[in-house]
Amino acid sequence: MNIHFKTAFSGIRRSPFQAFSAVLVLSVTFFVVTILTISLYASDKLLNYFETRPQVIAFLKDDISSGDISFLQERLAQDMRVKDIKYVSKEEALAIYKEATTDNPLLAELVTPSIFPASLEFSLTDLNYAKDVIEEVKSEAVVDQVGFTANLGGEATLQNTVERLRLITKYVRLGGGVFVGIMLLASFTVLVVIISMRLTTRRGEIEILNLIGATVNFIRGPVIIEALTYVAVGVFLGWILAFIITLYLSPSLVAYFNQIEILPRNTINLFGLFGMILGSELVIGLTLALIGGFLAVSRSLKKK
Amino acid sequence: MDENLVSWFVMVKFENVSKKFGNIIALSDITFEVEDGEFVFITGPSGSGKTTLLRLLMRELLPDHGKIIVGKQDIVKLEGKEVPFYRQGMGVVFQDFKVLPERTVRENVEVALAVINIPQKEWISRVDHVLKLVGLMERAELFPSQLSGGEIQRVSLARALVVNPKIIIADEPTGNLDWETATQIMDLFEKINKEGKTIFVASHHEAIMKKMGKRVVKLKGGKLVK
Repeated sequence: MNIHFKTAFSGIRRSPFQAFSAVLVLSVTFFVVTILTISLYASDKLLNYFETRPQVIAFLKDDISSGDISFLQERLAQDMRVKDIKYVSKEEALAIYKEATTDNPLLAELVTPSIFPASLEFSLTDLNYAKDVIEEVKSEAVVDQVGFTANLGGEATLQNTVERLRLITKYVRLGGGVFVGIMLLASFTVLVVIISMRLTTRRGEIEILNLIGATVNFIRGPVIIEALTYVAVGVFLGWILAFIITLYLSPSLVAYFNQIEILPRNTINLFGLFGMILGSELVIGLTLALIGGFLAVSRSLKKK
Repeated sequence: MDENLVSWFVMVKFENVSKKFGNIIALSDITFEVEDGEFVFITGPSGSGKTTLLRLLMRELLPDHGKIIVGKQDIVKLEGKEVPFYRQGMGVVFQDFKVLPERTVRENVEVALAVINIPQKEWISRVDHVLKLVGLMERAELFPSQLSGGEIQRVSLARALVVNPKIIIADEPTGNLDWETATQIMDLFEKINKEGKTIFVASHHEAIMKKMGKRVVKLKGGKLVK
């Protein structure tokens, strides 16, 4: 085994409590980082779901020509504020109704396509445009009524829902970011303190190494390896714990959010997402270890 | 004689070197030369400046005045990052041994090879060679706490030798040893010197110096008296 690895591992073995505290703090930090990342991913998906589903439905009058409909559809399609525009005919509206009432077929038998208005459904690129767009569409001669997706309870409710979601996401990001920042700072400090303690216990050895011509990098080697080991173990433990908890909660989350895919339902995609999180955490952790190691060694050599 | 040729043969040159610690004069205007392959005893009573002179040569200290030329280079002018590479060219045997207590005899010697980046596959043969030379082959897997004073001193010597240095510096290498062990250690130095190494030994062991019959640089109160 390389002499630096040997020195690093013997240091870990000789001070198990220091090693344990470093790994514990790092595990907790990266557990929180993983959970927070997953929460942000889920809230983004949730927000995206509400933002991209048809938000505005313009119910068309019965007596209009297909040319008028095409003209309005074309005009809306060219509007930068509008996206995903779709024409829903009376027959399609009936089909949607039938699907929504499969539990009670009697309700579907009582209706004919003629009682459903044809409509143009579309989303907005930004919900801030909602009020203006709705007003403009309402003023169109071919439009009977305009509304937001019915099952969310009308114009104000949908906007409020999305705004609330946005606010929550913003605070999760902000609060989470600050919290993770504090946790990372705490981990970094613990890492530097533990490495400095290790250097203090190795002071005699470092002095001898200096005298026999060891470069700063040679002295730094085992210290960096030790810090990297703590970080790698800490990241992995924190990540695996968060992964297990997510897997455990997945069925309940899927059932609760129903058609909203807040987490990948495909196993490969889920593993891919967690793989990316692990990769990013390792990069962050290794950067912490390198900076911490360099800082501690520089301080220790300066003190000498 | 050509000046370059002169400097080639003059391995170490102290030129008007002075060093003070506060008001205490450790060395005062020291000038002497040591040729390549020479064996020199630095002697004098306690506090005469022997250790300071060796520490200056190791570039552990900087002089207040003067030059210390090693090969062709004034080591006083070396930058901090160049010092480790300078030290890698010399072997040092310390009065207090300075062996690593948590490493075996073999590991203590291996560390010196690791420091100068010798590939690991060469370690066994080189370490075995020096351990045989200093008579510690049987003790290779023991820790310093399991060795006698003389054996620990030999570990220190083996570590100094394994890097195949041009200069060997030994600070009171026989200070804590009995006559028989001290003689063995000095015989080893002589053997190494015959291989062409330049050797500096700080000692106040008159009998040893007399027995060895080598050049003596004598210090007193920080001044060169012989």
